[in-house]
Amino acid sequence: MTALSDIDTVGVAPLLAWRDRPIIEANHLTKVYRLGEHQSLRATLTVLAGGHREYQTLRALDDVSFSIARGECFGIVGTNGSGKSTLLQVISQITLPTAGHVVVRGRVLPLLAVGTGFHPELTGRENVVLFGTVLGFPRRAILGRMDEIVAFAEIGSHIDTPLKRYSSGMQARLSFAVAMMFPAAISIFDEVLAVTDDEFTSRCLQSIESIISGGRTAIFVSHDAGLVRRLCDRVMWMESGQARLVGPTAEVMDAYHAAHA
Amino acid sequence: MATPKVDPEVWRTPDTDVLWQDIDLELRLEAVKTRIHPRDIRAMLPVIRVLALRDFKAKFKQSLLGPVWIFLQPLALLAAFIVGFHAVATINTSGVPYIVFVLVALGAWTYFQASLSMGAVSVVTNAQLMQRTACPRLAFPIASLIANLPSLGVPLVAGVTAAAVTGELSLRVLLLPLGLLWLIAVTAGVVMMTSALNVRYRDLLAILPLVLQVGVFFSPIGYQTSDLPSVARALIGLNPLAGVMETWRWMILPIHPPAAGLIATSLAVTVAFVLAGWFIFTRSEPTMADVV
Repeated sequence: MTALSDIDTVGVAPLLAWRDRPIIEANHLTKVYRLGEHQSLRATLTVLAGGHREYQTLRALDDVSFSIARGECFGIVGTNGSGKSTLLQVISQITLPTAGHVVVRGRVLPLLAVGTGFHPELTGRENVVLFGTVLGFPRRAILGRMDEIVAFAEIGSHIDTPLKRYSSGMQARLSFAVAMMFPAAISIFDEVLAVTDDEFTSRCLQSIESIISGGRTAIFVSHDAGLVRRLCDRVMWMESGQARLVGPTAEVMDAYHAAHA
Repeated sequence: MATPKVDPEVWRTPDTDVLWQDIDLELRLEAVKTRIHPRDIRAMLPVIRVLALRDFKAKFKQSLLGPVWIFLQPLALLAAFIVGFHAVATINTSGVPYIVFVLVALGAWTYFQASLSMGAVSVVTNAQLMQRTACPRLAFPIASLIANLPSLGVPLVAGVTAAAVTGELSLRVLLLPLGLLWLIAVTAGVVMMTSALNVRYRDLLAILPLVLQVGVFFSPIGYQTSDLPSVARALIGLNPLAGVMETWRWMILPIHPPAAGLIATSLAVTVAFVLAGWFIFTRSEPTMADVV
């Protein structure tokens, strides 16, 4: 590969040092949410009357530590409300942890829900530019890949139709196609293959596999145990905001199933 | 040691310009009071551009007249001033035709109103985007400032043209860019403040229409502050748009400069708004996705 010699000219040593460190390192991550209505007339009157407001809190993440190596496919399993999505939001810089920290060494591409950031009144094409830009890709690169994106999503001439006329499956295809066409060091997939048909889902899985085999890193969240076993190198099992078990896929999944049998 | 694994993006030729930035990228994400600095705005420009374009386009989609509304709105307001003020009372315009007198200041109001209506709700309406991507939140209010520039340009060009046609145009019109900057600063401060507060306190949605309905009369669009009783004249500077409008009028038309006291008050309030807007927005930005 000519690429390696290109890198040599920049100096391999410092790159290797950076490259060999974990791509994600979470240390004692904790995230506390306040529950209930934050503002209400009743609460305002209570405070004005000199009363004290009690907030109930939720520890969505409770002292979570783990690390992900470059090139790994890392799975996260757990029941609803176990903290998976909050963790992904912290890694994607959407929200900040309340305590602890996470070091991220690479550009993150979060696909946390399909159709995210799409505007119903804009056409598919306009939405692709919008979504790609928000994810941090330059306009030129997005326009240059428009044909590839349309082909991957198989939406053909619908690309110039307002998004509100799309079915949810078509929206999912489009957002997945945008995500697949852009190289980011870390791709995050949070339960995004639930609404597409079998044919498209299997093409997406192939893409995810080629991302991983190409040396990039993926974080994969799914309730489909078969998919997790097929794709992931290591898995973290989360429960009530805590990392209950982190390890090789088979080991963690067996324990997870034993607990949920 | 085995051949080092090379990220495919490194040798993906078409966008190597972008992807080389990833080398040595190391972010430490932890609890902080604020995570934006004024210099970060530069990096937000591509997102601001695409959001502004989206907001501008979406504003007129599925509408019969579309962007024609940018012309009709100030026109309707102009008609209201001619009937509501000029037809019933004698207004001192320092000899300038009333229609020109109003048009010259009208753009400041239509821009402020349009930007505030869109900007105050900008963070809340983008909640989905905010909770699913790391889209810079400051880009939302700034995009409203850009998307509504036509509401500034259309009446202003009409005003300057009308002044030129009637032979009332002053050479001071060359100073007008400073006047525009002032208006955008006022609007930016108010929009940053309201969009951030609206995330936490939806009371803003109730206050805003009220402020806009009343504000149009507390702004010297159809009259000049020099004709107000002295108490009112002293207070009206607290509305920074009063300073903006009187300054614009002085820059475009051959009239006496506005009172120094008014300008000083309006400028001070503008600075206070910008600083408060920045402070409130940047302090609440880290938790916006949690609270909205």
